[in-house]
Amino acid sequence: MPYLGSEDAVRELRRALSNPHVQSDPLRYRSSVLRAVRAMSQGVDVSDLFSEMVKACATVDVVQKKLVYVFLCSYATLNPELSLLVINTLRKDCQDPNPMVRSLALRNMTNLRLPSLVEYVEQPLTAGLRDRAACVRRVAVLGWAKLHHLQPHPEIDAAVVNELYGLLRDPDPVVMVNCLRALEEILKEEGGVAINKPITHHLLNRLKESDVWGQCEVLRILQRYHPQSEDELFDILSLLDASLVSPHAPVMAATLSLFLGLCSGLPAVSLAALERVRGPLLAACGSVSRETRFTALCHIQLLLRSLPGLMGAHYKRFFCSYAEPAYIKQRKMQVLVELVNDENVAMLLDELKGYCTDVNPETAQAAISAIGRIGRSYSDRCLEILTGLLGLKQEHITSAVLQTMCDLVWVCPQCSDTVCLALEGCDGMLQDSQGRQALLWLLAVYGERVSSAPYTLEVFIDGVRSEASLGVKMELLTTTMKLFLCRPSETQDMLGRLLHYCIEEEMDMCVRDQALLYYRLLHCGIEETRKVLQGRRSDPSLGVLIGRPAEPISQWASSFNTLEPLRQGGVATEPASRGSPEHVTFDPKPNTDLSDTLNCSQIEKVNLDSDGASRFTYSSANVPARSLSLSPVLSPEAFERLWMQRHASHAEQGAEKLEEEEDYVCLEEHIQCPAVPYCSPQSLQAAMQLVNIQTLAFTPPHTLPWRVYLYTHTQHAHSGSTLIVGELLYTGEPSRRVVAVKKCTEDGDVVEEEEEAGMLSGRELVKKDEEEEEIKVTLKQQPRDDKALKDFLSILTTVLHTHN
Amino acid sequence: MSASAVFILDLKGKVLICRNYKGNMDMNEIDHFMPILMKREEEAEATPLVTHGSSHFLWIKHSNLYLVAMTKKNANASLVYTFLYKIVQVFKEYFKELEEESIRDNFVTVYELMDEVMDFGFPQTTDSKILQEYITQQGHKLEVGAPRPPATITNAVSWRSEGIKYRKNEVFMDVIESVNLLVSASGSVLRSEIVGTIKLRVVLSGMPELRLGLNDKVLFEITGREKSKAVELEDVKFHQCVRLSRFENDRTISFIPPDGESELMSYRLNTTVKPLIWIESVIEKFSHSRVEIKVKARSNFKTRSTANSVSILVPVPSDADSPKFKTSTGSAKWVPEKSAVQWNIKSFPGGKEYVMRASFGLPSVDSDELEAKRPITVNFEIPYFTVSGIQVRYLKIIEKSGYHALPWVRYITQSGDYQLRTN
Repeated sequence: MPYLGSEDAVRELRRALSNPHVQSDPLRYRSSVLRAVRAMSQGVDVSDLFSEMVKACATVDVVQKKLVYVFLCSYATLNPELSLLVINTLRKDCQDPNPMVRSLALRNMTNLRLPSLVEYVEQPLTAGLRDRAACVRRVAVLGWAKLHHLQPHPEIDAAVVNELYGLLRDPDPVVMVNCLRALEEILKEEGGVAINKPITHHLLNRLKESDVWGQCEVLRILQRYHPQSEDELFDILSLLDASLVSPHAPVMAATLSLFLGLCSGLPAVSLAALERVRGPLLAACGSVSRETRFTALCHIQLLLRSLPGLMGAHYKRFFCSYAEPAYIKQRKMQVLVELVNDENVAMLLDELKGYCTDVNPETAQAAISAIGRIGRSYSDRCLEILTGLLGLKQEHITSAVLQTMCDLVWVCPQCSDTVCLALEGCDGMLQDSQGRQALLWLLAVYGERVSSAPYTLEVFIDGVRSEASLGVKMELLTTTMKLFLCRPSETQDMLGRLLHYCIEEEMDMCVRDQALLYYRLLHCGIEETRKVLQGRRSDPSLGVLIGRPAEPISQWASSFNTLEPLRQGGVATEPASRGSPEHVTFDPKPNTDLSDTLNCSQIEKVNLDSDGASRFTYSSANVPARSLSLSPVLSPEAFERLWMQRHASHAEQGAEKLEEEEDYVCLEEHIQCPAVPYCSPQSLQAAMQLVNIQTLAFTPPHTLPWRVYLYTHTQHAHSGSTLIVGELLYTGEPSRRVVAVKKCTEDGDVVEEEEEAGMLSGRELVKKDEEEEEIKVTLKQQPRDDKALKDFLSILTTVLHTHN
Repeated sequence: MSASAVFILDLKGKVLICRNYKGNMDMNEIDHFMPILMKREEEAEATPLVTHGSSHFLWIKHSNLYLVAMTKKNANASLVYTFLYKIVQVFKEYFKELEEESIRDNFVTVYELMDEVMDFGFPQTTDSKILQEYITQQGHKLEVGAPRPPATITNAVSWRSEGIKYRKNEVFMDVIESVNLLVSASGSVLRSEIVGTIKLRVVLSGMPELRLGLNDKVLFEITGREKSKAVELEDVKFHQCVRLSRFENDRTISFIPPDGESELMSYRLNTTVKPLIWIESVIEKFSHSRVEIKVKARSNFKTRSTANSVSILVPVPSDADSPKFKTSTGSAKWVPEKSAVQWNIKSFPGGKEYVMRASFGLPSVDSDELEAKRPITVNFEIPYFTVSGIQVRYLKIIEKSGYHALPWVRYITQSGDYQLRTN
């Protein structure tokens, strides 16, 4: 930014610098140099002073030297010829007895960035690598990297590379790390520095000597090493274990990154590593520096993609504090949405509700859409909050709520009643176009059930002339058409007016064409119009509880500990709203009876093929007469109704083991198969479908409590068919009842042994407990048929057992 | 990590000082930084990462300065931020305050430091103790013949140089705990955490070897003294001088301390403690006429301790006027720029309860704006007391020459992020 009079300033400076009186007074000389550098950093073009500054370089005053070098390095590229003059001084300084001066000269020599000077720099650099003082070696090593960056020079590089590999054994840790950095740069084409076993072990052994920067560098480069055997791998891992919980967040992140890389083939070890970094990660989330906090949050989002349950118990750590910046609040909310479960949902929603009235509209909007996301699993509570928010009559809140409701009813059609009720009070007072579009869309879909819909629409149509947003106009056309189909008498007049305006007066082509299209469509008759306009509504089988399947760690491991997670803006974890692919939809093909009803004798064959056949328990003698079938299809809504109704009656009567009514039975059973909650929903679903059990909803793997809802019909030649609905529940805690049963069935020896083990080490016992963890199966059958239920249970047990 | 360049900008985005470390990016790219940041700030989403084309700016703000690292690689973000904070710390140790003025006044030193802390985009020497040995602020004095590089650059003990001499040998140790608290409007504690630091001021000659004994729970378990009162420390971070291997083996904290002031260790405790100062508030808003505020503050610590300079900040509507106060102790005043009442109590003994009442007039015309629900914040300081109960059991000082040195220990508990939400 040159300012007026900069030329005068330069002239004045030149006069001062070349004045022999000034030059003879070291203090005045230095202050003149300082003024030149200050002018430079203020953006004044002082490149004309280059030759004067070159002269000023020949001084014994180190501070002046440094200043001059700063100047020269900035302008060297503009004056390559004059720069040659500096080289002499620099080379002389490289011989100086003081290592500080040597390293300073060497560093600036390589900072000049002039290809023409390379030949003069090489010799001092080579000497620098063998200097006695570590600070000179540090500079020299990086100097080679700079030189290569400037001008790759293959034949010299080969020799240098060898020397640099040798210097990896330098006693100074910074020299060692700088060697790695330099080799990375020089060997970039060949994929960076080559890491073999001795180098790896050398680096690992000296890891502790380095500072944070060095450790991170070493850990990053070690990612390239592939251990030759499993033993070696575990040796490395145990060496790194301490760094994994390092209090320095960057070291911890770098170690985790290395762990994930090394253990890509060992999911259990990666999992254990992730569990171990939970503490340090949470600590980073509470760091004083908001940047560190933000980075940690972004990385936690990454981890949650694979392990949704990792932070479940620590949800309170993600509650926002009042003074936090909006970008941190928004990330925290995105994390909170992932952590919701049966236990904390009330607390979480209460907290999010508080954020909805944040003064920052973006934060408020983020909170509202977070509630909407949770609403996919806990629709009633969330809708209650959302409708409550509408009562505030705050424009940006109403707009956000309507947008959220759009998304919510699309995936959870059962919410539509509440939404319709809420729509009654909404009028056209919204200012922002997205909110208005959302309102119109909702009216289009549910206009039939909202009594005030035509009045709301009328406000829009009356104001269409002043409407600026294209999207709103298009939405308005569609909505009016749709409403006309279901409430013709009320809307006919306004539809006419709207079409007239859009065709005759509207300037925008898109709106006009759309209006014309609708107009002509109406000419084809009402039935035809209905067929065109009333396309598919949301799929009723969209999930009740379905979560996103967990991604494998390898999906994101490579972007861990880089800039990438910070850039995504949460897009990756925030799936597209309407009709997004995360909602696994099942097509049970209701009409093809033949393929759907699978005789149970076939199951046995299937299972014998799989490796779990040894644990096959049920006898095939009573099977042939009975089979499972998926038809008639049970919709998720119907399922929910049935389940809840049965649930209520169950609760009233107290928790009895087997409770009976004339036509209905409820059974609770425990099955041992701890691995099932960790397998992917898709594979379990496939296994169930093989035997004609339809799964309706899953919680993602690794979350606690883990649930699956399922149903099937049993068909029997004599007793007719019954419907069975069921829930698999895994809470992660061993149930008391089962332990008791175990004790009386198992002989005394085993129990004693277990106690002994417990005395020796607590760890052993914990492990045993884990093995005893079981899945609770709750089945409800209608009408009652005990035998069929027993058979079904044994089939289910077999499937679960063979599945892991 | 690799930063191509580091900039220090003033609030308007003007470059005060910059260093081009790698020379692979156009230094003028920085001109795009401020406009993008301004635009984002309006939208309240000024994330610490700003991208323009292929250039990424990672920035932090310190008083009236922006420190920006520019890179075009997919760099290690957490490391870059750590580095930026590190140089802020280095500057602060040199100039006491880091702000626009101090950068301008210490132009030469800043250039020298920026030269040393990073080379070719890689952090080099960032320990201010070492840097201070060969980069001095004596800008006016002439240094004929540069200072020798400190032996520390290769020395095993890189944070302390040899030959330090004092007439009187002393060590001052401050154990400071700050309490972070978040209480919901209904009065339940959402988050409670103690962050502790142990700070040292070392005035010792030679190469002394120090050993610090704390009432560490793990240590007590090892030594079998489980009955005594002990504290379970989490996330313990040490200054690099502490021998980590010894700590990992037998929980001994032994070190050769850096000269002068330093932070020896920090720790965190997640245990829920009784909130030291508990606030109950009733804020009644009669729209169009007035707001009535009643705040009750209770001290939940032993009577022998006293909280000093307690200040309780209670939010009031921004359009409130004509304040009236009544306090049972201390003084209350209206701080219109913060839209809050500040209630100051000089000394607040334990086990006491005080009340403050305030009333404000409200304009008869209601503003449509939604008021933020701001929390009540509390600041306090309790000397001679630690919430966690941590204690320095001993601090042994051993030096070859066998001089006698005195250790001084002081405990302080203070408020950190201490917030109670209001209805």
